[in-house]
Amino acid sequence: MKTKLTEISLNHPGKVITLALLITAFFLFQFPSVVIDTDPENMLPADEQVRVDDRKAKEDFDLYDFIVLGINSQESGFTPELLNKLTEITAEIEDIEGVISDDIIAPSVVDDISQGANGSIIIKPLVGDSVRSQKEADEILFRISQNKLLRGKLASPNGDLISIFIPIESKDLSHRISEQLKLIAENYGIGEDVFIAGLPVAEDSFGKEMFIQMGLSAPVAMLFIFVLMLIFFKKAKLVVAPLIISMMTVIWTMGLLIVTGNTVHIMSSMIPIFLIPISVLDSIHILSEFHDNLKKQSSKDLIITETISELFVPMLYTSLTTAVGFLSLSLTPIPPVQVFGMFVAVGVLFAWALSITVIPALLKLISTDSLKKFSELDEDKYLLNRVMKKLKQVSVSYGKVVIVLALFVIAVSAYGLNLIIVNDNPVKWFKESHPIRIADKIMNQRLAGTYINFLTLDGMKDDIFKSPEAAKYVEKLQEMIEQDDYVGATTSYADIVKKVRFELFEADSAKASLPDSRDEIAQLLFLFEMSGGDADDLYKLVTQEFDKANIWIQLKKGDNQIVSASVDRINKFIEDNPPPVPMEIRWAGLPYINVVWQDKMVSGMKDALSGSFLVVFIMMVILFRSFKWGVVSLLPLSLTILSIYAFIGFIGKPYDMPVAILSSLTLGLSVDFAIHFIQRLRKLFKEKESFNEAFDEVFKNTGKAIGRNVVVIAIGFIPMLFSSLSPYVTVGTFFLAIMLVSGLTTMVLLPSIVYTFQNLFYEKKNA
Amino acid sequence: MPNYIKVMQLPILLLTLLSMLSVKSSAQDALTAQEVMMKSHLAYYYSGNDGVSNVKMSIINKRGKERVREFVMLRLDKEEAGKQFYYIYFKTPSDVSRMTFMVHKDPSENDARWIYIPSIDLIKPISADDKNSSFVNSDFSYEDISGRHPDEDNHSFAESNETDSMSFVIESSSKEKYKGFARKVSYIDRNSFLPLRELYYNRKGVLIKEFTAEEIEEIDGIKTITVRKMTNHKKSSHTLVTMSSIKYNIGLTEEIFTERYLKNPPRKFMK
Repeated sequence: MKTKLTEISLNHPGKVITLALLITAFFLFQFPSVVIDTDPENMLPADEQVRVDDRKAKEDFDLYDFIVLGINSQESGFTPELLNKLTEITAEIEDIEGVISDDIIAPSVVDDISQGANGSIIIKPLVGDSVRSQKEADEILFRISQNKLLRGKLASPNGDLISIFIPIESKDLSHRISEQLKLIAENYGIGEDVFIAGLPVAEDSFGKEMFIQMGLSAPVAMLFIFVLMLIFFKKAKLVVAPLIISMMTVIWTMGLLIVTGNTVHIMSSMIPIFLIPISVLDSIHILSEFHDNLKKQSSKDLIITETISELFVPMLYTSLTTAVGFLSLSLTPIPPVQVFGMFVAVGVLFAWALSITVIPALLKLISTDSLKKFSELDEDKYLLNRVMKKLKQVSVSYGKVVIVLALFVIAVSAYGLNLIIVNDNPVKWFKESHPIRIADKIMNQRLAGTYINFLTLDGMKDDIFKSPEAAKYVEKLQEMIEQDDYVGATTSYADIVKKVRFELFEADSAKASLPDSRDEIAQLLFLFEMSGGDADDLYKLVTQEFDKANIWIQLKKGDNQIVSASVDRINKFIEDNPPPVPMEIRWAGLPYINVVWQDKMVSGMKDALSGSFLVVFIMMVILFRSFKWGVVSLLPLSLTILSIYAFIGFIGKPYDMPVAILSSLTLGLSVDFAIHFIQRLRKLFKEKESFNEAFDEVFKNTGKAIGRNVVVIAIGFIPMLFSSLSPYVTVGTFFLAIMLVSGLTTMVLLPSIVYTFQNLFYEKKNA
Repeated sequence: MPNYIKVMQLPILLLTLLSMLSVKSSAQDALTAQEVMMKSHLAYYYSGNDGVSNVKMSIINKRGKERVREFVMLRLDKEEAGKQFYYIYFKTPSDVSRMTFMVHKDPSENDARWIYIPSIDLIKPISADDKNSSFVNSDFSYEDISGRHPDEDNHSFAESNETDSMSFVIESSSKEKYKGFARKVSYIDRNSFLPLRELYYNRKGVLIKEFTAEEIEEIDGIKTITVRKMTNHKKSSHTLVTMSSIKYNIGLTEEIFTERYLKNPPRKFMK
């Protein structure tokens, strides 16, 4: 039964390969109809409450996501020339397709209320048609610093950074628009001084760069793997086989994803990079085994059949456990992660099916001559052989020490796990040297913050926010929110009331407070509308019906940890200081959405991980038909997960989206070696005369195959460590760590336990 | 077959041409585009020596939500196409009722504006230098309410002026860079000289605003647009202005347009 499929492959190698190629072609033809979706917001279903609230807030207050353009004026200074240049630049920005030109916040278009001649007040754009003198420029900077509505938005306090907030129709335009912004700046000769920040840019650019990285790193990983296998197996003809399997697996899976109508999201774009190593693993086991068997047998068909029959069960189980690990992701409440998990699981099974059918067919077609040379590979000079010998000696001589050491590692890891900080920030998906990171850093140092959350208060009654009580409650909330170190500024309609009142009473600071009369609030705001103030600015802070108010909260940092602390503090304050009139409090804004999906992700991953851990354990008990072997087989897996995540805790790397996803990979991959090792060892126990003979043998074949796998995968993914996107670095590091730690525990801890407790584990021949 | 149709159409075509020629010879021969615009300016913004009307302004945003402002507007012309006084008394929304607003319009310089805020009993002059800014947050700008002097733009007859028997079609472009429009096409009634329709385009040639005269009535012998509509295509909003109880030449005096009357509205004109 085990070799049925393989026999078909051996009898009709050409047909099998043709069929596989036809299927591959079919899936390849699906690729052009791919729909790409790079919006991290889609991590949450469209009907998720937070997204519904966010859309509602955007609709109620006519809000858009912002790109923030910063101009470094540290060297040039806050000069008339620069301001006039910016006026022209702003006019050009207004013409960019996808920019909400009416809502741009820039020095030349934003209104300022000030004192005019003869005790009049003026509401007019802060920067007029042309700034003529340095004195005028200085006055503008002073006015920005004096106006709470503009402070920290348009310029830094000392004028070394000027900024323009650019609202855009939709986030997926931000990458293109930011490229156009750079071009405009270059045309005005200030290309060098321009920074572009804001979550939409980070998120959209990440999506774009992610796909470029994908197209780059997948082939590079394949190339590395190919070269490493060539070093191990010498024959290019043989080594091509795993690569073909790998490519077919990737094409089948992505083709299936597309043909089933799924979008290729940031998550699913990573499927290939996960499938490549997984699909190579089986092939390496087959080639290793095949190579070892070549010496014993003469008939090629027989060697292939024996190889497959030997590996059938462990390969099936390693594939199933890996699939289970990924399938568990479908338990998370995040649709793209579910899709990702399901399709990697399917891909793993594709890889398995291809490994036991196409590889035998390919081997069959290779001339016996080249196989001869393949079998003559020198054995003892091989570094891997020596390493395996050493490892065996370690478990024989220091078995107990290894066990104690492992216990110690577990204890330390348990502590390290508690140090894990859950945090994420799409801006930090770029390396520190990336322009987006630099822009983020400098602009948030000098300005009030490029991360914008909206706290909306729904008074559920028209005109409620004209009442002094409601206005004063908004003011009180702002005062509280602004105490937060990471909050650079808050803005509300109450600020406009206060500003108008202040200027109306000839800049009397005693009057820069909210009035006690409802009519006065209404009339001050009406005055603002009447006298040329851009009423649209007002209606971004309060609805025209005055039933809802909106507080803009500008944060200097977008780390989820900081955002959620800020949100929690505010929610708590509202709970302790309930509004004077009934109000529904809702949150909106990209930083807040990110917090919500991260929370779901973390708790979802916890359930997924513990669930699949249990399933894998049950599978092991069934596979080995033994409870004790089941327990032992989970040791490398547990130790790998524990130590890797403890390490993350110790070095203070935040537990972010990629790290969360990778726990399923860790689970799925790190049990594999143990399955191969135990399965083979127990088989050898039955075949060989003594414990020592079997113990010796398992290092020679399975040990070496595992060793090859560790080297190929670990090194194959090293190029990813140099990616400019940090999730890629994380993935590469994880592959390296998973391979090293689970390889080492499998080849050191498992043998040490088995050797030390021989009486318990040795199953005598014919017993 | 095609020839036959053409032959049949010929007399109609000739008739149409003739009728157009006759209109031209009677009314248009002497008028330049500039003159048409000036006549229109006077017919629309300077009708009678003075006037009073009740104005209801419905501002409808892109989601169809409507806000209503009601006010009484008094106007006194000091000179034709020149200085003008406006006085506005707000009635609704109720929390702004009794607020008053006054404009001394002078085409040769910036307008002088005053506002009275009853809740704090304060009259405040407001400096204005952007005539294109929105009037009470409607889709009409200040200039749409009180008029933009024709001399600020260059005017010429549009091609379709030849074929339009009902209205003059005039293309205008601003002499100086202007936020309100780069190019404007006006359809001016050949009889009353009232603007029937105006299309405002920006620099890129995109239609941004559109004015239409929805209803025209004859009041005290003066043709008056009683319902006018301004659509803002950029914001997908529109404002409907309905004027009622219109009276002309009621004997307003300059005295009413002073600060004193801001606090104490002239009751007899307020009803």
